[in-house]
Amino acid sequence: MSEQPTTLTKQPQVRAKGNFFGNVWRSLFRYGRLPEDAEGQSYVVFNSLFLHIHPVKVSKHSLRLTYTYGLGVIATILFLVLTFTGIWLMFYYFPSATEAYNRMLDLRSSVDFGFVLRNIHKWAAETMVVFVILHMARVFFTGAYKPPREFNWVIGVILLLLTLGLSFTGYLLPWDQLAFWAITVGTSIAGYAPVLGQPLRKFLLGADVVGQEALVRFYVLHVVILPGILSIFLAVHFWRIRKDGGLSHPADNDIPPEGGGQ
Amino acid sequence: MKKKQVRVQQPEIDRRTFLSTLGWAGVGVSAIAAALGNILYLKPAVDYGPATVIRAGRPDDYKEGIKELLEDERIAVIRDKKGFAAISVTCTHLGCTVRISDAGFECPCHGSQYDNDGYVTGGPAPRPLDWYQVSVAPNGELEIDKGVIVPPGTYFKVS
Repeated sequence: MSEQPTTLTKQPQVRAKGNFFGNVWRSLFRYGRLPEDAEGQSYVVFNSLFLHIHPVKVSKHSLRLTYTYGLGVIATILFLVLTFTGIWLMFYYFPSATEAYNRMLDLRSSVDFGFVLRNIHKWAAETMVVFVILHMARVFFTGAYKPPREFNWVIGVILLLLTLGLSFTGYLLPWDQLAFWAITVGTSIAGYAPVLGQPLRKFLLGADVVGQEALVRFYVLHVVILPGILSIFLAVHFWRIRKDGGLSHPADNDIPPEGGGQ
Repeated sequence: MKKKQVRVQQPEIDRRTFLSTLGWAGVGVSAIAAALGNILYLKPAVDYGPATVIRAGRPDDYKEGIKELLEDERIAVIRDKKGFAAISVTCTHLGCTVRISDAGFECPCHGSQYDNDGYVTGGPAPRPLDWYQVSVAPNGELEIDKGVIVPPGTYFKVS
């Protein structure tokens, strides 16, 4: 293995030393101009945090748009959008039974671009649920859940449940009538589960009825715990795609792209 | 003469295995204790919810035969010849507020129906509406304890 570095004969060219911006660029991305040869390009992908999520070798079959429709990528992008708009909303919102509703109204009417952020967050949340389900449907109908990808399907199911959990906890935060009754009914349904139902309901609400305690608990779950867990599972999900040989594709279609060798 | 065989007693478990097992057992016990501690932490020790005992005005404020709805407290107060009763208007199905209907009570969420005493006459509700304990506070006001559920048909006689 110690010989490996020397097999990369075509080291990508880097910008000339002495150029400050060139040096910063090089220390961040480990390459100068993008190499045009296959080996150099592989080297760049291997050594960049920002590029290594994409595999060096991709099957032509899985590059067809109509194979995946990019549903998983869309769901991921929506998660990122939700993370950033959510953090921005946190600057004005706080989970107080007396203030939450007013802060939501302020975001809608007074804060500059507040209604934009709030609406992006809301619509991204609802479309994320849709796209996660569409993504799972695509994986199911193309048989991409079969071995060796069965473990990643399970990770995907966990991600679906976390997405629904985020939807549910976020629903309470505007603290309006719709939110209050939705969570009253939702946690009552949880209470019907055998044995664990009532303890779970008590854990979610922190009291016997939906009130200040429930609002704080849903807030913490919504902004810290569930997104944190989801991020970890998302990382495992992506890692598994690479380790299971990329997207599913027929074996006979696994022809190296032109200019081959990768 | 037979050579006497000296056999060194091999311990069943060597020192390294013993100590590492002991160590891992300690880690395991600590992890379980920490998990239990975290679960206990999340279980509220203090109930910050609304007070269960509420004052509902003077007995003379209520007319006989009319269900008076205390909306914020989610209670219907009934005055009858037999005395006073307080029936919860929280649906026993999924917790919506039931409204007073001609036949008794009905839930707007999933259509549960109750008679005047809160017994289920239709819909998905699994049990009758709760009846709360009614008493009179020292100052003469009615006092309702939402923490004490009494059997349906229990009336409090104001002398």
